[in-house]
Amino acid sequence: MPYRLRRLFKSKKQQAPSSADQKEKTPLGTSLKDNLKEFKKRTGNSSDVVIRTLTTGGMQWEAAIVYIDGIVDNTSIDEFLLEPLLQLEVPTTPVLQQDIPDYISEQVIALGGIESVLDWETLFEAVTIGRTILFIDGAAKALSTSTIGGERRAVEEPPTEISIRGPREGFTESIRTNTAMVRRRIKNPNLRVKTMKIGRQTKTNVEIMYLEGIADEKVVEEVRRRLKQMDMGSILDSGYIEELIEDQPSSPFPTIHFTERPDSAAGNILEGRVAVFVDGSPFILHMPAVFIQFFQSVDDYYSRSYIASSLRMLRIMVFLISLYAPATYVAATTFHQEMIPTQLLIVLSAQREAVPFPALIEAFIMEMTFEVLREAGIRMPKAVGQTVSIVGALVIGQAAVQAGIVSPAMVIIVAITAIASFTTPSYSMAIAARLIRFFLMVIAATFGFYGLILSFIMMTAHLCSLRSFGVPYMAPLAPFVPADFHDSIIRLPWWKAKERPRLISGQNNVRQGDDLKPEAPGTQSIRKQRKNTGDLNED
Amino acid sequence: MEKAKINAGQLFVLIFLFEMGSALLLSLGIEAKQDAWMAVMAGMFGSLLLFWMYYRLYLFYPDMLPTSYMQDIIGPFLGKIAAYLYILVFMYNAARVLRDFGEMLVIFAYNETPLFIINALLLLLVVYITHKGIEVIARTGEILFVVLYVLAVTGSILILVSGLINLDHLKPVLEGGIGRILKTAGTETLYVPFGEAVVFFMILPYVNRPDKIKPAALSALVLSGINLSITMAVNVAVLGVDLTERSQFPLLNTIQAIQVAEFLERLDVFFMIALIVGGFIKISIYFYAAVIGASDLFRVKEISRLVFPLGLVVLFLSMVIASGYAEHIREGLHFVPLYIHLPFHVILPALLLTGAALKKRHSVNKRN
Repeated sequence: MPYRLRRLFKSKKQQAPSSADQKEKTPLGTSLKDNLKEFKKRTGNSSDVVIRTLTTGGMQWEAAIVYIDGIVDNTSIDEFLLEPLLQLEVPTTPVLQQDIPDYISEQVIALGGIESVLDWETLFEAVTIGRTILFIDGAAKALSTSTIGGERRAVEEPPTEISIRGPREGFTESIRTNTAMVRRRIKNPNLRVKTMKIGRQTKTNVEIMYLEGIADEKVVEEVRRRLKQMDMGSILDSGYIEELIEDQPSSPFPTIHFTERPDSAAGNILEGRVAVFVDGSPFILHMPAVFIQFFQSVDDYYSRSYIASSLRMLRIMVFLISLYAPATYVAATTFHQEMIPTQLLIVLSAQREAVPFPALIEAFIMEMTFEVLREAGIRMPKAVGQTVSIVGALVIGQAAVQAGIVSPAMVIIVAITAIASFTTPSYSMAIAARLIRFFLMVIAATFGFYGLILSFIMMTAHLCSLRSFGVPYMAPLAPFVPADFHDSIIRLPWWKAKERPRLISGQNNVRQGDDLKPEAPGTQSIRKQRKNTGDLNED
Repeated sequence: MEKAKINAGQLFVLIFLFEMGSALLLSLGIEAKQDAWMAVMAGMFGSLLLFWMYYRLYLFYPDMLPTSYMQDIIGPFLGKIAAYLYILVFMYNAARVLRDFGEMLVIFAYNETPLFIINALLLLLVVYITHKGIEVIARTGEILFVVLYVLAVTGSILILVSGLINLDHLKPVLEGGIGRILKTAGTETLYVPFGEAVVFFMILPYVNRPDKIKPAALSALVLSGINLSITMAVNVAVLGVDLTERSQFPLLNTIQAIQVAEFLERLDVFFMIALIVGGFIKISIYFYAAVIGASDLFRVKEISRLVFPLGLVVLFLSMVIASGYAEHIREGLHFVPLYIHLPFHVILPALLLTGAALKKRHSVNKRN
């Protein structure tokens, strides 16, 4: 079949230049009419594209401004672009045709960011982010002016990370607002922001932020490398990026931490982490992450260290409860009745007598019901939210017990598990526990405590084998790093935390001065004074 | 050799857990009657000498695995045979501990579960972690160390609080004289568990700071000796010599005796956690040593290729090693010390050390 073969080759030959075309840039024409025609053709006459023709320079220059309605700031277009252009008189010294754009950008337009554009590709990049383009007849050059604006959500209190004490503002969907909120907290010129555009269709702005001289350069380089490798079609949220750059996507445990709070992001950057901002997402990723970080809340740093430490330990304990409570109940009632104290056993078996299911099925029914309720509670419109809680209270509560489907003890276990799973500050860690819990229940019903202990060891081994951007996930616990222990399952007071986490910030570990520990107010000086004046009767 | 490093603290934890491993659960040195705890201590002191021997051997070849330097010391042919034997011994020991452990679980909690299933589950875990390498074993060890210590402290407090300890059981001290203690130490406690630390000469080349090996390893041995000795003393003080001697797992009986506030009783799960954690680390280290030795000897670059086949071998070995628990125990008491512990823990390392020293002197003389 020589003909087909030739066709095959031909088609390949034809395809090759067209794909190269995409990367080549097509220059603008000189005629305003042609340019506008081309612009209309390329945008396919979309209705939100605004083209306004005008004459300027004392009625002698034909010009047009184009922008996309809704993502521009209309006031600045009207006041600083249209008004000066329309009022422009004939220049005193004659201007050459090709120099008009320069003349206008230097002397007429009262806007900050102006760039000249020579080709269509750059032009569309500019228009799609909300800049306004000024075409002038006779020049193969257009001006792109910064008029980015449009409706955005205001800065509000972050709904997913509540803190009792601490700042109330949370990130928004606007990347500039977000970086600004962090920059306002770290007033240091070494704070670097690097931008890249990811996504074939969406061309989303992705920015990495780190503190030069404190962040580990290898990690910064690695983050940049992994981001550059991504050839995604679209990026709509930081979740896309998280999934594509994490070390172990097959693990249920998250190896990248995200936050909605600028203070948390700033704190992490100050410890030497790299933050990734994604335009359109109020969630900031930071890496490398360690396991223990998912149990730390910003409140820990704002409250006194004893309280913070005990709360952290409570959270870890409760995390284990949320993992193991139903599984332990199943194992104890199925395999190891002898380990339950006699009185309790009698109570339990009296309750279980009426229940027609084995403990595993009972646990599954209740846990599934709870998961369904929780999912419904999240997805339901707020107006009908109350229905869920009423129905839920009935199902999980009295009715299920009275109907003889589950035992009251099981209800207690499920309730404890449910409450426990809400104490983990990080949603991604809590959701991992939800998943593993079901797996553990099956193991408990098959192998009893033996299976549970094995699964605990297995989970520990798995966690110990994870790394996040080169940092062992279980650090500073395993490998045990005594210097970093001050901020792990406990938080020692700030005067003990002289160094940044060693494994995370590659260099420059010392973060603060010595002798931060406060003395009782003025005790020393007051004593000295009294001694000098001879007044020693202070007690 | 795998490209991995562990630190001295991790070595400490691994040795400690390894020594505690199955020894914590057995009636160690009970031949010395109420002086069992002293026999354990004596065995521990003796093992310091043994460990010093392994350590000296390591100092001669700090960057090589024993399976390689054996060939350097006693020639490629004999060295390969010796290395091969060591691999077999490690695998045999792994299988033995696995069998011990499976039998214990069957006896005390899972009467109706087949031994094979119990062994296979644990071995699956061992294979998984060995596949991940020594770094992960060490880190997991660090966390399990804390778990074990929390259990030990809680258990001790509960035993103290429930007023079970009767110090009269430990008297008269030295009833059988020093001779009985030394005899028990020399025939039993020196080899099991302390002499088993020979397996660590496969691990030492992975430690990142060679100068810290000696303090870390010796203190781990001493600490584990003290802990085992306390455990034996508590067992005897709670149960009495007679019961401890006859009991299969004295620690289990001790824990079962706990009754606090009519609620905290039958804390068998404590025993079970200690049993599984200890057994797991011990089997993992033996198995890792066997795998890494085999990969070194047979020039297999990726250890993950060896993990599954060798794991199967260990699993089946653990099943066919003896036809029943009684036979297994009898083998352990009468044949293993003579044919495995003495030659491979003491005699062969001593010969190797002598060879290495002579060789070194020879080469120094030559240079002069």
